[in-house]
Amino acid sequence: MPHRPPPKTPTLGCLLAGLCLVFTGLLCNLPARAADILLTGAEDSPGMQSFVQALSELRPTDSVRFQPVASLPAPGQLPVDTRLILLDLPSLDWRLQDAQGPATLVLRISRLQARQRLGNEMPTHLSLLWSDPPLDRQLRLTRLLLPEARRVGVLFDSHSEFLLKEVRQAALPLGLEVVTERWDNTNDSRPLQALLKNSDVLLGLDDPDLYNPKTVKNLLLSSYARQLALIGPNAAFVRAGSLASTYSDQNDWLKILDELLDRPSSTWPRALYPQHFKVLSNPQVARSLSIEPMNEASVATQLAEGERRP
Amino acid sequence: MVLALIFSSPLLADDLFLDNDPLPQVLTATRLKQSPAAVPGSMTVIDSELISASGARDISELLRLVPGMMVGNISGNQAAVNYHGTKASEARRMQVLIDGRSVYRAGLATVDWSDIPVAMEDIERIEVFRGPNTVSYGANALMAVVNIITRKPADSHGTRLKVTRGQRGINDFYASQGMGWDSGDLRLSLSGQQDDGFDSDRTGADYRDSRRLNRFSLAVSQMLNENQSIDWQLNAKDGTNQRPYTYRPVFSGITAAGNNSDVIAKDYAGSLRWNLDINPDHSLYIQGSAQHWDRQQTWRACDAEISFSPELTQLWQLNPNYTERLARNMDRYTVSGAPAGTAAERALGNQVLRQWQDGARQTLCGDIDQSARESRYDLELQDTLSLSDSLRLVSGMNYRYDRANSETYFNGTLDDTTWRAFGQLEWRATEHWLLQGGAMYEDTQLTGNSLTPRVAVNYLINPRHGLRAVYSEAIRSPDMFENNVNWSYQVTNLKPSAYGQSSARYFVKTRGPGDLEQERMRSRELGYNGYFAEWGLAVDVKLFYDEITGMISEPLRNNQYIASNSNSSRFSGTETQLDWRVSSADRLRLTYAYVDAEASNPLDAQQTARNSGSAGWLRSWGQGWNSALFYYGADALNGYRFERVDTRIAKRIGLGKANLELAGILQQRLDNQPTTFVDNNYDDRRVLYFSAELEF
Repeated sequence: MPHRPPPKTPTLGCLLAGLCLVFTGLLCNLPARAADILLTGAEDSPGMQSFVQALSELRPTDSVRFQPVASLPAPGQLPVDTRLILLDLPSLDWRLQDAQGPATLVLRISRLQARQRLGNEMPTHLSLLWSDPPLDRQLRLTRLLLPEARRVGVLFDSHSEFLLKEVRQAALPLGLEVVTERWDNTNDSRPLQALLKNSDVLLGLDDPDLYNPKTVKNLLLSSYARQLALIGPNAAFVRAGSLASTYSDQNDWLKILDELLDRPSSTWPRALYPQHFKVLSNPQVARSLSIEPMNEASVATQLAEGERRP
Repeated sequence: MVLALIFSSPLLADDLFLDNDPLPQVLTATRLKQSPAAVPGSMTVIDSELISASGARDISELLRLVPGMMVGNISGNQAAVNYHGTKASEARRMQVLIDGRSVYRAGLATVDWSDIPVAMEDIERIEVFRGPNTVSYGANALMAVVNIITRKPADSHGTRLKVTRGQRGINDFYASQGMGWDSGDLRLSLSGQQDDGFDSDRTGADYRDSRRLNRFSLAVSQMLNENQSIDWQLNAKDGTNQRPYTYRPVFSGITAAGNNSDVIAKDYAGSLRWNLDINPDHSLYIQGSAQHWDRQQTWRACDAEISFSPELTQLWQLNPNYTERLARNMDRYTVSGAPAGTAAERALGNQVLRQWQDGARQTLCGDIDQSARESRYDLELQDTLSLSDSLRLVSGMNYRYDRANSETYFNGTLDDTTWRAFGQLEWRATEHWLLQGGAMYEDTQLTGNSLTPRVAVNYLINPRHGLRAVYSEAIRSPDMFENNVNWSYQVTNLKPSAYGQSSARYFVKTRGPGDLEQERMRSRELGYNGYFAEWGLAVDVKLFYDEITGMISEPLRNNQYIASNSNSSRFSGTETQLDWRVSSADRLRLTYAYVDAEASNPLDAQQTARNSGSAGWLRSWGQGWNSALFYYGADALNGYRFERVDTRIAKRIGLGKANLELAGILQQRLDNQPTTFVDNNYDDRRVLYFSAELEF
């Protein structure tokens, strides 16, 4: 990661370059000290208010404000040095109508949603901060909690199919086998049954077509009936009965934003999984599945340490 | 751990970044079950993989996979299944439930395994609780509980068609259709079973014990809203079970005879269950069910006209022993006069002998109707309350009404009402200690009331390994037959007529004592259950010492049936089961039981094999090929050794969206003995059958 240089002995050239970077950073940061941070979303919910409030407390020298997207001009008409943060999909739609305008951080967007809106493109003026837990992290969580599980079952549909390649790639170094099953019609339980038969654990992709209030009961009861745990797809599912998941909450995102806002927008990555995260588990489900009670904080630390290693 | 959950909950509530979709809590404290190491007793689960790999066509055959289960046959269409033992001809000390509905016949105290209206293909798994557990399952859960759980409609979508054909007249079919809609699911299945049973009786003659049956089953689940759902089922079974003609004339010189006493057996059942999740820590259900067992058994029997003599009937009531001695030796006493006895006995005896001389020795044939119809209505409320993270209470009430109708057995109709209340508390005292205890109170109109406690302590070394100590008491109420039988035969369609009547009552009449008490079981158990996750190995070992007192062990015979609570038995020994997933392709399973039985009535020790067990190896070879090899052995069931090896080889073929599975099953007996009874013989020790199943 750019803000965390690899720990090796710097050469003179590197040192000079580093020095330049620091200066450039300082220069860029000077206007940023009084930066205009504009957050926008379709409507001003209490959740958004508290988030804006928390961000302004974190950055007292900046001007942090929220404005509903309906009241904003076209993105191109905003000052270029505005630090624009989008909080929902309607505001992304608004931002996408104009290629001009300030660099933008897009929050609360999942890989699936981005794919549906943007296809394979990664617009250069956007930084997409993924809301869904990274699959590699979820797989490593799976291996940590269920070291004996070998076959990881993954349900997908046409919207989430593009993630399978990534799951397989992430599973390979962990020695896990990915078993997949297409589930286009969630009223038909056969694909789920077929998958349960061939898996040791299920990994949920954050695909609301598959994992939603309508399917949650069948998914969890059927997998539990076979004594199989579900990992993911998100924190809400853990409360419903999934064994565990990694997730990033408001505090994690505030830390991430704080770090990004300290940097010139030109160095923002095109897309980013949050490096700050937590682990949520369901101790009652763990107990019923004969799994040792876990210390969520230490599991999160172990996972984070694993990610720091090259 | 607990704190983490408490702290993270409010955080989840207003966090902009956490999906605040209103997801219902599905796996709640009330729905989650104990992990195997924390179960307050011994449990064997026969999962769907084992069920299909075994190739078994009968539920009773599957129970051979349960350590300590003694599986025998009275005939080809009557299985006799006992846990640990007791009598070979009657298996009545085990509760059998299908989706929570007891199929134990209250009237005649049996489980008609072959007549249970459930197809093997509809079974998801069988959970066998090895040991008494009246607290959770009600009276009659005396020695074990077999809990048959059918596949949920939500898990049975699509079409399945299966045919099985093979030697010994095996001819089965199964067809099911499952579908789901937004708020519910349904499964409809039709099935049939047919075979010839055993081949020959002790004389080498053809043994009449084939069966032919058809079943219908409909199961529906419907969500009413987020926290309420209903499940309902309708099941029916209709079929014929052949029975050999076993009537032996009492009087000498009778040669005419009927040729069968086949049974037309029909079972009907319906149940409705309403589930309510009040909150994640509190749920309840109310289940109502109605069942009807219809056994139509009429046959033609022949004996002497004297069988219907009013004087002989009177004499039987005075002294059955005296009467039997006389009846079996009529010609001898005709010469010498009635045998020694009281004046009244001798007077009646001589009248009977005079009738005999005057022509009442002629042969009469008539229809005997031994049909029985039993009905049961059952209503149960069960409430599960999670009082805290470490305390859970399961309590409930049950009302049951049983009615049995049989001219032969009850001289009409007999009914019984049972009330039951139960409660069980699970307390996780610490991470390691788990205490579970409860009691059941039952009040039966015909046999009175009883209270049975149960207590178990589990020490969890870690979540996957636990030691347990269990003490439990259980009762079995005598069934209507044992206690209240009023057994006599009204023979109709008599040819020629008896004393001028075409319908007359046979002289033998037997009455149950009416004052029998419950049998009482005291069971002690020490056990270990462990799962070695890194090897995929699950182990359970138990030591047990069970005593039954007040045991009713007189055989149900219509000559001089005098039932009493005067017997007792004791079963002690050890059992072990081992389930090892050696690799993703191989699974090994071993069970072994050593049972030592002591009984005041030797008959109660006859169905106990001192050594019994099973071994299985399941392997998936890839490319759709699967094999399973099972060995079953019992050193002596009713005195006969039983050893068999079953092999199943299956190939799965994908046909577009459909799947075809072809399988061949070969069962090879390793011993040369009859099966449980002397009349149960096969001509060939080997049987082969094939099945083809299409799923789409």
